[in-house]
Amino acid sequence: MTTKQTVKVTVNGIAYERQVEPRLTLVDFLRHELHLGGTHVGCEHGVCGTCNILVDGKAVRSCLMLAVQVDGESLTTVEGLRNRDTGDLHPIQQAFVDEHGLQCGFCTPGFLMTTLELLRDNPNPSEADIKDALGGNLCRCTGYEAIMKSVRLAAKRVQEGQDIGLTHTD
Amino acid sequence: MKPAPFDYYSPDTLEEAVALLAKLENEDLDAKILAGGQSLMPMLSLRLARPDALVDLRKIGALDYIREDGDTIAIGAMTSKSAAEDSDVIRTRQPLFHEATLLVGHRQIRNRGTVGGSFAHAEPTAEYGAAAMVLGMDMKVVGPNGERIVPAKDFYVTYLTADIDSTEILTEVRLPVLKKGTGWSFQEMSRRQGDHALAGAAVTLRLVGGVCKDVCIAVFGVNASPTRLAEAEAFITGKAATEDNAREAGRVGADGLEEPMSDVHATAQYRRGLIATLVARCLVEAASRAS
Amino acid sequence: MSIEIPGLPEDMPGAELKYVGKDVKRIEDPGLVAGTVEFIDNLDLPNMAHCAMLRSPHPHARITGYDTSAAEALPGVVAVITGEDVKRWANPVTTAPEGWGSYCLAVDKVRFVGEPVVAVAAESRYIAEDALELVNVEYELLPVAATAEEAIKEGAPRLFEENESNVILSKTYDWGDVDQVFADADHVVSETFFWNRVGANPMETFGCVSTWDTVNNSLTIHGSFQTPGFMALGRAFSLNLPTNKVKVVSHPHGGSFGGKGGPRGSEISSLLSRKAGGRAVKYIEDRVEYLLAGAGQSWDRYYDASLALKADGTVTGFKVKLLDDQGAGAEGYGTISIAKPIAAFTGCYRIEAARYDLNVVATNRAPTYPYRGYGPPPHNYVLESLMDIAAQKLGLDVAEIRRRNYIPPEAFPYTIPSGNEYDSGQYEVTLDAALELADYEALREEQARAREEGRLLGIGVCSVVEPGVFDWNAYTTVGIQGVGVPEGAKVSVDIMGQITVTVGFSLEGQGQYTLAAQLVADFFGVDMAGVRVAYAATDVAPPHFGPGGSRLGVSITGAVLGACRKIEEKFKLVTARLMQCEPAALELADGFVRIKGVPGAEMHIAQVAGTMLARSDLLPPGMEQSPEATYVWTAPGRTEPDEQGRCKSYLTAANACHVVMVEIDPGTGRTDILKYCVADDCGTRLNPATVEGQLMGGIAQGIGAALFEEYVYTDDGQPKVSTFAEYLVPTIHEVPKTDKAVIVTPSPFTPLGAKGCGEGAIHTTPAVIMCAINDALLPLGVQARATPASPNRVWDLLQQAK
Repeated sequence: MTTKQTVKVTVNGIAYERQVEPRLTLVDFLRHELHLGGTHVGCEHGVCGTCNILVDGKAVRSCLMLAVQVDGESLTTVEGLRNRDTGDLHPIQQAFVDEHGLQCGFCTPGFLMTTLELLRDNPNPSEADIKDALGGNLCRCTGYEAIMKSVRLAAKRVQEGQDIGLTHTD
Repeated sequence: MKPAPFDYYSPDTLEEAVALLAKLENEDLDAKILAGGQSLMPMLSLRLARPDALVDLRKIGALDYIREDGDTIAIGAMTSKSAAEDSDVIRTRQPLFHEATLLVGHRQIRNRGTVGGSFAHAEPTAEYGAAAMVLGMDMKVVGPNGERIVPAKDFYVTYLTADIDSTEILTEVRLPVLKKGTGWSFQEMSRRQGDHALAGAAVTLRLVGGVCKDVCIAVFGVNASPTRLAEAEAFITGKAATEDNAREAGRVGADGLEEPMSDVHATAQYRRGLIATLVARCLVEAASRAS
Repeated sequence: MSIEIPGLPEDMPGAELKYVGKDVKRIEDPGLVAGTVEFIDNLDLPNMAHCAMLRSPHPHARITGYDTSAAEALPGVVAVITGEDVKRWANPVTTAPEGWGSYCLAVDKVRFVGEPVVAVAAESRYIAEDALELVNVEYELLPVAATAEEAIKEGAPRLFEENESNVILSKTYDWGDVDQVFADADHVVSETFFWNRVGANPMETFGCVSTWDTVNNSLTIHGSFQTPGFMALGRAFSLNLPTNKVKVVSHPHGGSFGGKGGPRGSEISSLLSRKAGGRAVKYIEDRVEYLLAGAGQSWDRYYDASLALKADGTVTGFKVKLLDDQGAGAEGYGTISIAKPIAAFTGCYRIEAARYDLNVVATNRAPTYPYRGYGPPPHNYVLESLMDIAAQKLGLDVAEIRRRNYIPPEAFPYTIPSGNEYDSGQYEVTLDAALELADYEALREEQARAREEGRLLGIGVCSVVEPGVFDWNAYTTVGIQGVGVPEGAKVSVDIMGQITVTVGFSLEGQGQYTLAAQLVADFFGVDMAGVRVAYAATDVAPPHFGPGGSRLGVSITGAVLGACRKIEEKFKLVTARLMQCEPAALELADGFVRIKGVPGAEMHIAQVAGTMLARSDLLPPGMEQSPEATYVWTAPGRTEPDEQGRCKSYLTAANACHVVMVEIDPGTGRTDILKYCVADDCGTRLNPATVEGQLMGGIAQGIGAALFEEYVYTDDGQPKVSTFAEYLVPTIHEVPKTDKAVIVTPSPFTPLGAKGCGEGAIHTTPAVIMCAINDALLPLGVQARATPASPNRVWDLLQQAK
C-alpha cells in the first residue's frame, strides 16, 4: 500500500521534485516538504479559504487536493507575490497594508491569492463581484470592511496601470 | 485530521481507467474515483472515507468539454464547474443550469470541482440534482460492458448513491437546451451564501393562454435524493401562476414530501416550510420569465 | 520613583505628534502579507515528533482499561501516554473557584465528548493518527448531565464525584435596596432569555512545540499563547516544575479572542516530550478538535430578569437570575464571564439598585473558556431587551427611554451600584450621533410603510458601556485573588541611537507593536521606521499579561511612556552634565535633548546614548551605563472588593450606541441587516484605523452570535458541531457595510486618555440585532428570546404567530 510517488511541480517559478505518500495533502506538501509556510491551514475541510493558492492560474483550496494531483502543474503561493529582485510587495499586498486589510494576518495569504485571481480576470470588479470572489474566505478579525477597501484600492491601482503580473515566469 | 493511507492511480485514458477499476474490483479492493475531489477530500481527511485506492481521472483530457449537439448540450464529466459557469453556451441556452452552477459553493470550489463529480457523488443538497430532474437530463456511464445512458429519474438511487456501478465511470451529462418561451426559476435557501442548501427548488413551465402548462418542479436538500413534485405540478397546471395559486401549489408540494431530513440547521418541519415558500416563489418567477 | 505619564496627547514631549492619533500603517503587516511570519506550525525543531490525541466519544464514562500496545508497536511511533502517565507526572489544572479542574488527559473518567484520553507522538501527524486507530480504550458509560437544568436536579450524575454537587458557585449579590425599589415601582417588566453557546474560532487553531529537558528538568513551550506569562505559571503548577523552569515562547498567532493558550495541548505535548526522552513534540490542534473541545466556547445561559420602572420611564431596579452552564468544570476560567458583567452591570443607566443571583453549574458539555466580551454580550442582550420591553410597556420610543435613564456627563466619575467607577462619558451625545447617522425618524417612517405592505422591518437602538482595562479584583466573585495587573515594557537606545521596545506578548492582530512604535517615535521625536519592537520570552520578559480584557492598548501605552520618561530623565541628567546646565532647562524634541530657548544647544539622542555606553568618565557620579529603562504599568487606584464584590475594577468605561434596521423574510425566517450605524466613544484613539478594525471585527462576531453561530448539543450530551459546515462564521456576505461616528471623551485616568476598545462592539451587536428582530416581530405578537435568531428559530416563531 501507499507506494510513494514522484511529484514534479513548479511553484512560484521554481521546479521541485519530491517523493511523497499519495495521502499527503497539497497544503501539507507545500508547508512541510517544500517549506513554503506562507500558505496557512485554517480548517482542512475546504470551508475557510485560508489555504487558497493558484493551481494553473486558478484559485483553489490546497487542503482539498493531494500533492500527487499537482504532478506536472504550475502553482503560485503567497511567497510568489513579491518582486523577486527588489523584494517589493505586490500591489495587492501593498493595498492590504495601506488599508489595514488584516489584523492577525493568518487568513491573509488566502485572501491575497483569491484577490489575485479576481483582479487578473476582472480588473474593475463591482462590490458584488468582490463579495462573490471572497465569499469563500473567512476572516475572524476584520469584519471584512477593510478587506473590501483593500481590494478596491488594489483594483484602482491596477486600473491606473500597476502590473499585477508576477516577476517569476510560469 | 489526515487521510488514512491509500494507493493512487492516474490513468491516461478512459479505457485504462475502466480496466483499472475492474482489476481493483477483482482484487477485492475498494477503489474510489477522484474527479475534482471537493467532496471526497474532506471525507478522506476526516477518515469518513477510507478507500484502498483512488483512481484520479485528471489526466483524461477527453472528458473535459462542453459541446452543443443540436438542442442538447453535452458536458464532459471532468469539466470544472467554473468552466460550466463561464460557458456562454450554457448561460444563454440553458440558464437554469447556469444558475444552479453559480449556487454551488464558492468560485475556488467550482474551479476544482467537476460537473461529473457532483452528479456521481449524488449529495442530497447538490443543486445539480434538481436541475437534472426538471431538465430531464441524461447521464452517460461507461463500464467494462460498454456505455449506457441513464435518465435523471433513474439516476438517483438514494443518499450519496447514484446508479453507477463500482466499475463504471460517469463520463458525460447531457442537458436539453431551454425551449423557446419556457419560463424557469432556480432558488435555494442556505444559511450563508455558498453553503449547502437547506432546501431548494427548480421549476420550468410554459404559459399558454395565461395558464401554466408543462410544469416541472423538482426540489433538493430535503430528501435523500432530488424529488419531482408531481402533485404540485398537477395542481398548478391549467392555472394562472398568481401569488395565491403558487402559494397553494407550494403547500401541496410540501405536504406531499416524504419526511424531510433534519440536521443542526433545519428541522424536517422547517424544511417542509421552506419547500412551500421556494416552490411558490419559483413558480411566480418562472411564470414571469415565460413568454 | 514616581513617573508622570502623559494624560493626554498634548502632554507628550515635542511640539507636534506625527504618529499618535493618526491612521498609521502597521509595522506588523509587511511580514504578514508576505507570508514570512513564524506562526507556530511554521516552527520546525530538529528531530521533532508530532502529536495526535484520541478523544472521548462519550459525554460521561468511566475508563476501565487501555490497550496501547499495537499503537506503540507501529513503526514511527515515538511515545504514547495515557491517564496513567498523567496521574504520576501531573496535577489537575487550577481553577476559580478551586476544585473544578481536570488533568490534561482524562484520568479514571471522561466528562465530555472530545476530552483527550490517549496521546501519541510519532514521526508525522499522519502516522500519529494511524496509531490512534490502534488504541483500544474500554469505557463504562455513566448517566449524563446534558444541561444546566438537569445538572442541578437532585440526584443528577456528578461530574466531579469529590464535590457535593454540580454547582460550581451559587451566590446572590444585592446592591442597594432591591426589594424596596421593586415594591415601589409603578411597573415591573420581566422576561426569560436563553443565550446559546458560541465561541472564538480564530482562523488559526492552537498549536505548540514542547521540549522537556530531562537533564535539567526544565520545559520550554513554543506556541500560540495569548497570555504567555500566565500560561507558564499554570503549566509549572500542573506539571510539578519550579516556576522558573518553565519557559513559554509565544509566537505570532492567528487571532485568539480570548481562548488561545490550550493548557491541555501544552501539557500533553510536554508530557509526550518527557516520555520521549526530551524530543521536541509538536501539537497542532485541528479544526474538528477545536470545535469539539478547543479553548473558546463561551456563554451557555438561561436568564430570568426584571426591571423596576417609574411611570415616567425611570428605571430604578434591575434583577438578574442567571443559570450558567460552564460545561465540564472550570478549567478554562469560563467562570470569569459571570463576574465581568458586574463591572458594568447596569449599563449606561442610573439604576439605583440591582441584584445578581448566580448559579454556575458543571455539565457534560465541553468546558467553557474566555471569548471576546467575556460575559457582557449576553448580559447586555438581557438588559437592552428589557429596556425595549419597558419602552413598549410605557408607550415610549426605545431611544427615548434610554435617553431618560442615561448617567449624565456631569456625574462622572460615577460609581454604579455594583461598585465599579466609570471614568467619563457623554451617552446622550453618542445616542444622538447614532440616531442622526441612521436618520432614525426616516427609518421609522420607512418601517411604518413597510408594515402596511406586510413586510417585517425592525429597528434596534442599543447603548452599551464597555468596561476596559480589566483588573483581577473584578473577578473576586469566582475566587480570583489580586489587585493590579502588571504590564511591562523595556525601551532601550543603542549606541547608534536606534530604539528597541521589548514586550512580553507576541503578535495577535490588534496592532500593539505598531502602537508601541508610534509612542516611542513621538516621544523622542524620531522616525517610526527606525523603532523596533521585539518579543521577549517569559524567562526574560518584564512582568506582563498581554492582550485581554480590553487592556493592552492602554497598559502598553502606560508601560512604554513610563519607560520613555525614565530614559528622558537619565538623558537630561547626562546632557545637563555635558552641557553644563540644569536638567530642568532641557527638553526632548525631534530626536534631540535641547536647552530650551537656546537654538543649536542640543545633543542628539544617539550622542547621549553613545556617551552613556562608551564614556563612563563623562557621566554624572553613580549613573549606570544604561540608556534603557523598564516600566511596569498598572491601573491606578484599584481597590479591594467588599463582601458584595464591589470595587474599582475596570479602569475605563467606553460607550457605544448602535442603530440597525433588519428585515425578516416571512417565507424563510431569514434576517437581513439593511442598515448598521455605530457611534462609538472609546476616548482618545491612538491609531484610529486599528480602533476601527477592532470595532468592525467585534460587529462581525456579534452578527455571528446573533444570527449564525451556535454550539449545538443533543439531549444526551453529544455535540452536533464539529466542522465549519455546522459552525457558521459570518462571511463577507453576512457583514453589512456600516456607517460610523466618532465621539471622543478622554479618560481622565489613563495614559493619553485612551480607553479599552477591543470588545465594545461584541458587547452591543448581539443585543441590537435581537432588539431589531423583536421590533420586526412586534406586530405578530411573538418575540425571539433565544440566540442565535437562526432562520429556523424565527420561522418557528412565525408559525406560532399564524
